[in-house]
Formats: sequence, structure tokens, C-alpha cells
Amino acid sequence: MKSFSLLDFLSLSKKKFFRAPQWQFKLAIRIFLGFVVLYFLVAFLFLGIGGYYLLKKQNPETDPIFLINSFLGLYFAVDLLIRYFFQARPVTEVKALLLLPITKRGIVRGVLLRSLGSIFNAVPLVVLLPFCIVHSIENGMTYSVWIWFLSIICLSLSANYLTFLINKSNKIAAVFLGVFTIGYFLDYFFSFSISHYFEMGLEFIYTNPYWAAVPVVILSTSILLADKFLRRQLFLDKGLSKKKERIIGSNLDFFDRWERMGFFLKNDLRLIIRNIRARQVVLMGVLFLFYGLFFFTQDQYSEMPSMLVFAGLFITGGFMITFGQYVPAWDSEYYSFLMCQNLSYRKYLKSKLYLMMFSVIVSSILSLPYLFFGPKVMLIIGASGVFNFGFGSVITLYSGAFNTNPIKLNIKAKAFENTQNFSFIQLLFVLPKLILPLLVFYLPYAFFGFYAGLLGLAVVGLLGLIFQKQLLNLIVKTYQKKKYQTIGSFNKLVS
Amino acid sequence: MINATNLSKKYSGQTVLEIPDLEVPKGQRFGLVGNNGAGKTTLFSLFLDLIEASTGKVTINQIDVQTSEEWKPYTAAFIDESYLIGYLTAEEYFYFLGNLRGVSKEEINIWVQEFEPFFNGEILGQKKYLRDLSKGNQKKAGIVGTLIGKPELVILDEPFANLDPSTQIRLKKLIRDEAEKHGTTFLISSHDLTHVTEVCDRIVLLEKGLAIKDIETTPETLKELESYFSN
Repeated sequence: MKSFSLLDFLSLSKKKFFRAPQWQFKLAIRIFLGFVVLYFLVAFLFLGIGGYYLLKKQNPETDPIFLINSFLGLYFAVDLLIRYFFQARPVTEVKALLLLPITKRGIVRGVLLRSLGSIFNAVPLVVLLPFCIVHSIENGMTYSVWIWFLSIICLSLSANYLTFLINKSNKIAAVFLGVFTIGYFLDYFFSFSISHYFEMGLEFIYTNPYWAAVPVVILSTSILLADKFLRRQLFLDKGLSKKKERIIGSNLDFFDRWERMGFFLKNDLRLIIRNIRARQVVLMGVLFLFYGLFFFTQDQYSEMPSMLVFAGLFITGGFMITFGQYVPAWDSEYYSFLMCQNLSYRKYLKSKLYLMMFSVIVSSILSLPYLFFGPKVMLIIGASGVFNFGFGSVITLYSGAFNTNPIKLNIKAKAFENTQNFSFIQLLFVLPKLILPLLVFYLPYAFFGFYAGLLGLAVVGLLGLIFQKQLLNLIVKTYQKKKYQTIGSFNKLVS
Repeated sequence: MINATNLSKKYSGQTVLEIPDLEVPKGQRFGLVGNNGAGKTTLFSLFLDLIEASTGKVTINQIDVQTSEEWKPYTAAFIDESYLIGYLTAEEYFYFLGNLRGVSKEEINIWVQEFEPFFNGEILGQKKYLRDLSKGNQKKAGIVGTLIGKPELVILDEPFANLDPSTQIRLKKLIRDEAEKHGTTFLISSHDLTHVTEVCDRIVLLEKGLAIKDIETTPETLKELESYFSN
């Protein structure tokens, strides 16, 4: 039997890309993202080179490698976590290959090889390679540096293959999560640091290069495990089957007390908790709640009220910004259905507006702990909350009328490949969404001081509430004008 | 019930559908047959205002579908699986439709019992999301969903496809019963000539966007259609 080479896989990927609808547009975005990636690569390159001198300058006595070792434990933990959430696996595309005369071994190898191309694998390479070169130049060529380098790469690639197991099995994921949590608590309460032992292990390898065999063994074991695991998954009723899901969120009758709007809210909550893509996006929104910790803890920002307001807007509107920008695309899988139900466009859009307003209330309640940073911070959050509640919600809904890219609900978005829902019009709307509130704050602030700025935010929010009916009319009109176009592009969702 | 005048749809200059005049009276079971690409789904999409007509207009109960939304309260449709909400269970989906059409949860619970034979025990109480059901079972849930709240007009695209033989027979009975009991108007498209002639009292044959035949169903209709399609 012919073995299925990497080249064949590449050719399939190429066709998939160029034959997709709007591929020219996607290509433009790829190029743009390519520049973003390039930027990061260069940044990492400088991090690698500059990092050596920086560490040397701070601790002239110690070998910088020891310093790097001390936080690699944490790095790998975070690395695994990010990979778990964002690294997509090419497993689902192999179904069509099963019946072709290609050995299963070939298919599995193709998948394993292809996963190497992930951006996550490039990070240690681009940071550590220049670092090691500088290290060798400064200290003379020692093979121990390069053994250490290869060990790190081995460990990073092990993470790459272990993600296959973690991703597909909740049990294994739970074990990893358990280890992380226990590790964290041991560190926090008993000063027993796993990361420290990890550091010692790496030091040991650095000073006794023969022990580099250990990472190599770890890597080969993870490859073998992933290989074996994937081979077992290559059946329609195993890894290639749709996972049977447990029903969650069936008991949300609590919301029925708000009649019609509660009913829509209930359905949108189900959408969020029952679909991978929605959960992913909402998680991002939740992370924005912690955004304030960056700004409120550092003294340098206390003199820059605009930055604090910026943080306040993100804290109270995080969910609205991340989730709300894809309204109505969240309903794209069944949009035509909604359009011929006994549900006027107005009621539908109103329900979405209420969802966003509801999210601002929830975020504002969850941000109460910021009271710890004083009443001033709380006022900022309060004013931003009122602004987002009354006006931000309207703007977000309005911008949704121009977003006609469909979303596949139950499929993970790939990191750096989130082209599916990236449109330039959305990018244009980022401006009013972010700049406008800052302007609303800044103008009265510049003339009448800090509290006038906050008052400005709150007043605009209240105005949005007062004129909500009129604004909604305008939004409905805009949506109606784009109705056929929206339905048309949502229907292009290939299932 | 539904009226199309001077209706046409063009895609980049090419006419895919042209219906000068079509009227479906209330209570009729209207069948639409034709090969792939004949324009069946296009016609239904125009009826439901999902695509914009190039010329002409569609009215449901004298209401222009393009300018008003007043036809929505008494119209229901099941075109394909995208008319289901994949992340709901069948019950939740029925409650959703019930809520939109003013039928309470309790009423739905009693009402769906009627359809237990049609569901064949594979829809209710399954603890499965609709997206995890088989194609046939999805279709069953979707078809029954259209009947919630006794809409006056029900549009079904290829309702017989993907169904097992027993369910096909039950579906024919279901459509006849509903039409008799509530005077429901059905618009049904199908590739299956036998089923559609059995269940509909009028058949329109579409080809390349034109209504070639418009016949009242008689015992000879099936033969007539078969001979047409075998040429």
C-alpha cells in the first residue's frame, strides 16, 4: 500500500484553503496574520538575544541558564494549558482517508507530523536558539548548553504530543488539572514547589549532560503514546465519532419568570454552555474581569485616569465585547429557521440587546471585589458599567448587522487561524467601540476634571437607555436591509 | 392562502425560477416535484422571504411577505436540519417553538403524546441533543415541530427523504389527518413520486425553473409523472 506522505497532506490542505468561499479575503487575512506572527517571531528573537545580556546584567555571578530554568516549570504548565484550549488537532479530517489505500500507520504519522507545524512549537525554538548562540559566543562553545537546549525542545514537543491525549480524554485532562492545582496549593501553602524540583532536574541535566537521555525518553514515550492512542481512535465509533454529550443546563426554569425575555436569555445561556466555540469566547470575556488587576495595582497608572477608565470598560463589558461582537452569527446555524418563525426581527434583536445588558449587570456584580482598591476605582467601574449597559450594548448590536460570517458552534477555533469570523468591518467598529467611550470620558475630564469625565460616561449611558427605543428602531432597519445578505452568507456554513 | 404573481429569481443574469402566476387555496395539499436544480427549494425560500425575488411578489393571506412580518404567526416550515437548534433536546426545541407560537409547556407535553407512534420511541426522553440524533430522527422532530400551535400553512421540503418505510407511511397519514382536522395548507416537495401523489391533491412539476405541469391528482397522475420523468 502507498504510504500517505506529508506532501499529500499538504496538497489536501492547500486545496481546502483555495477552494473555500472568499479565499482571496482569507488569504489577505492570512497575510496580515502572517505579519503579526512575524512581528512576534522577531520580538522573541530579540527576547532571546537581549534576554541573555539582561539576565547577565542583573546577576553577573550566575549562569543565565540557571535563571531561565527557574521559571521553565511554570512556562510548561502554562504552555500545556494554552495548548489545551487553543491548539486544534487535525484528527477530524482523516475520515475520508480511511477507505483509501493508505495504511493507518501512514495516516497517524501524517497527523503526528503535521502537528509539529503548530505555532506553539516554534516559541521555544525562536527564543532559545538565539539565546544559546549568544551564550556560546560569550562563554565559548560548550556542548552542555546545546544538550540543555535540545532537552527543552524535547520537553516542549512532548507537550505537543501529550495534548493529543489531554484533548481527547477528559479523564487525562482531569489528572493534569489535578496535578496543577495540587502543585499550586503545595507551593502556596507549604512552600513545596514542584517547579523548583523541575528546575533542579534541568540544572542536573545541564551539569550532567548524560541525563539528557531523560527528556529524550519522555519525548519518545509521548510520541509512542500519541501514536498508539490515535491508532486506536481511527474508527468511526471511536475518535472519529461525535462524542455523546451529557445534557447540561436543562434546568433553567428560573428564567421563566421574566416571560419572553427570560425565555430568550435561557436559550442563549444554553447556547453558551453547550457549545465549545461559545464557551471558548465567553472564557475570554471572563478573563477580562481580571483586566483591572494590571492597572489598579500599579502606581504609574493612577496618574493616567484614561487608562483606568479603559480597564473599567473592559471589566464591565468583557463579555459584551467578546461574545456580543458575534451577534447574530451565534445563531447562524439556524438563522433561516428563526427568520420564518413567529418572531419579529425587532423582538429578536431586543432579546440580544437584553442579553448584553444582562451580561453587563453580571460583570458589574462580579467586579465588586475591586472595592478593595478604593472607592475611586469603584466609581470608575460604576460609570463604565452604566455606559456599557446603556450605550455600549447598542453599539455592539448595531455593529453585528455588518458581521455576516457564520460560526460553527461546536467546533474549536484555532489560535492564529481565527479567520472564520474576522472581518475588516468588525475591525472598523473596534474604533468607535473603544475610542468613543474614552472620548466621552476625556472631553469633560480635560475641561472639568476627573469626576466630570465619569459623569459624562454615565450620562451617555443613561441617554442610550432613554433613547433605546429609537436606537433599536434604527438597528432593526439596518438589520432588515441586510437580511438577505446575512441569510445568504450564513447558509454557506458547510456542515 | 398563498399567491405568487410574476415571480422570478435570477442569479447573475440567469433565470433560475419563473412563475407568472400561482395560487394555492386554503386547505390544499400542494405537491411540488422536479429534478435536482428545478427550483423547488428556491420557490420555498421565496415564499418564506429568505431570498429576495428579482421580480414579482409573494403574498400569504394577502400579506406581502417582503414588506410585512404578519405572515409569520401562522406559517411554519421545515426545509432541512438547519431548521433545528442543534444544541437543544427535542423537548426543549418543542418548548421553544411553543413559546414562539403561544403554546404552554404543559400543553406541549400533552400534545406531543399524540405523536408517540410517529416518533417510534426515538425522540422523546432521549437525553440527547438534536445534533446527535440520526438524520431520520432529526427530520421527525423537525416535521412535528412545524405542527405546534396549529399553523395555517406548513411548508415541508423533502419530508420523505431519510425516513424509514414505516415512518414514511405514518407521515402520509399524519399530513392527511392534520389537513382534515385543522384545514392546514401543506406545501410539500419530494423526489418520491409515489408518496407525493398519494398525499397531495395537486401536483406542480417544475423543470429548469418553469412550472411545466399543474395537475389535480387522479389515480393516473403517478403514471403520467413517471412517464414524464423517464424521458
